[in-house]
Amino acid sequence: MNTQDIPPLSKDSPVVLEMSNISKSFGAVTALVDVSIKLRQGEVLALVGDNGAGKSTLIKILSGFHQPDTGTIVSQGKEVRFASPRDARAQGIETVYQDLALIGDLSVFHNMFLGREYHKRFLGLNLLDNRKMREQAQLYLDTLGISIPSVNSTVDLLSGGQRQCIAVARSIYSSPKILVLDEPLAALGVRESAHVLGLIQNLRQQRQVSVILIVHNYNQIFEVCDRINFLHSGEVALDASTADTSEEELIRIVKSGLGRKAIDAAAAEVRPGLV
Amino acid sequence: MPPTETKPAKKTGVKVPHTMTERLLILLSRYREASIAVVAIVLVIYFQFGSDGGFLSPQFMSVVLRDTGRLGLIAAAEVMLMITGEIDLSLSAIFSIAPYVMALLSVTYGVPLAVGALIGVLIGILVGAINGIITVRFKVPSLITTVGMLFFLQGIVVSIYNSQPIVAPVEQPFNAIFGQSLYQPSDALLSWHGITAFTPFLWAAVLVLVLALVLNRTTFGLHTIATGSNIIGAREIGVRTDRMKIYNFMIAGGFAAFAGIINTAQFTSADPQAGSPFLTPQAIAAAVIGGTSLLGGSGTVIGALIGAFVVASLNNGLVMIGAQATVSDIYLGAAIIAAMILSIQVDRLRTRRRV
Ligand SMILES: Nc1ncnc2c1ncn2[C@@H]1O[C@H](COP(=O)(O)OP(=O)(O)OP(=O)(O)O)[C@@H](O)[C@H]1O
Ligand SMILES: [Mg+2]
Repeated sequence: MNTQDIPPLSKDSPVVLEMSNISKSFGAVTALVDVSIKLRQGEVLALVGDNGAGKSTLIKILSGFHQPDTGTIVSQGKEVRFASPRDARAQGIETVYQDLALIGDLSVFHNMFLGREYHKRFLGLNLLDNRKMREQAQLYLDTLGISIPSVNSTVDLLSGGQRQCIAVARSIYSSPKILVLDEPLAALGVRESAHVLGLIQNLRQQRQVSVILIVHNYNQIFEVCDRINFLHSGEVALDASTADTSEEELIRIVKSGLGRKAIDAAAAEVRPGLV
Repeated sequence: MPPTETKPAKKTGVKVPHTMTERLLILLSRYREASIAVVAIVLVIYFQFGSDGGFLSPQFMSVVLRDTGRLGLIAAAEVMLMITGEIDLSLSAIFSIAPYVMALLSVTYGVPLAVGALIGVLIGILVGAINGIITVRFKVPSLITTVGMLFFLQGIVVSIYNSQPIVAPVEQPFNAIFGQSLYQPSDALLSWHGITAFTPFLWAAVLVLVLALVLNRTTFGLHTIATGSNIIGAREIGVRTDRMKIYNFMIAGGFAAFAGIINTAQFTSADPQAGSPFLTPQAIAAAVIGGTSLLGGSGTVIGALIGAFVVASLNNGLVMIGAQATVSDIYLGAAIIAAMILSIQVDRLRTRRRV
């Protein structure tokens, strides 16, 4: 699917998520300083930055895994405070973590439904409805065109790419409002990457789900993203639309990233008024 | 987006065939209980021949199964904890203190045994909760937390009454339900007295089956496995891993207390030293022999019950076929070490698949 096929995001599309002035330290390590990001309805936002820039930390705050030291999160117009990932999931925020958060000793279908299991009543007990989960998992993976040996096999026995596909499928399954993907393509082959990018592109076309995507490959960013936020040593150093920026420009800005000033200078040189 | 909304796409990708190792692993992990059952049967046949048929007599079986019952309850409880990646070494002390409190309340205040038993089990659950909270909140390894608790409780129970055993009264229907007496040579197997000699084992079997249902067929069990298999991942996806650990410590405490109570019901005596220092290590051995991983994330409570039978058979059977009690410990020790080595090997194969 080509970028041209997708009409640009409408200017008055509402803001569904606003993280403002988020700071987070781990002991002596400062991971995030005063970071603010905005996400519009249906938008696909790329979060880029060097290793250790704080991307994963930021999205783990959004997913409720970490609590920010300072800053606020406003989701659907309401300020929210996530004490745990359960809270965030309950609000329709689904996350594919960099480590995938799959349980190696459980089957694929149990992983798919972990935390929102189907139940059936048996002698007054609330037992797992394994048959239903197995069928639903199989059906859904087929629908997404993801192929694995068997939904019954434990995740341990799958390849890295297969596991990544399962994690992505799990996150899309529950029709989230906001989908967060932390390097979902890292272990994927060329064809599988294209497949997952296609899934994201589908979501983008429908403009129902807002996506935050962390990827290191700029090709892929320009293929499926509407906007880019460049995170540098714990700060957002650049916020630009993919329509207004070219890949070469972005690479130049990112490569200059030895300090905030250098980035600003490079950005101003490439395109005045971008920052 | 529910799957019905989008039309099914063609399957992409190729099915990856399992290698031989994977097949073997899947087979082993699927039939863990069956593997240990084979070991148990071989052992029974060996002892049966070695003892000229005495091993499978009702009287001898009542002893082996009594040991199996109390060991199996503790082993099954230990399995739940080991799956979450924790362990509880204080269970033998809970095994002693719960029935001791029951008997003490009965002889000093005339509290009915049933009420005392309930209090005893609640004490076990409470101790489990304390073990769990200390382990989880203060991040003390459970090995340390529960060794501390072991000495603490053992100290309390021996100082209550000068280390003296208390003779527990017999109350009906309490004793008929929870354990009555040992099998006498004069008993017929199918008499009331003959059957009640097996009560402790029957209780253990029922409770272990319930625990197996909880582990394999409920959300609680699923989250217990998730907690031990990948604690960070489980947390990221929203499993309350701390709670899962605390709840399983509470189950373990309750099971150990109950095992102590049926033990006292059968012997009509509460000994502050009833939970010998060997009880917990033997239970852990039974769990590992039964197919539970030392690394967490995987285990079987039914395997633990069969493992308890193997340990109880070795304990009693070796003596029966003429070995010195001291020699039987050598065999048991060797069997435990062998089981642990095998368990680690299986784990190594299992975890090699992890990226
Ligand atoms: N749980 C933690 N405890 C201590 N330090 C942490 C923790 N998580 C992250 N950090 C630190 O915070 C900083 C930001 O890490 P983060 O994982 O957010 O980076 P990232 O941008 O996702 O990098 P990458 O591209 O390599 O995934 C790093 O210096 C890291 O060492
Ligand atoms: Mg990261």
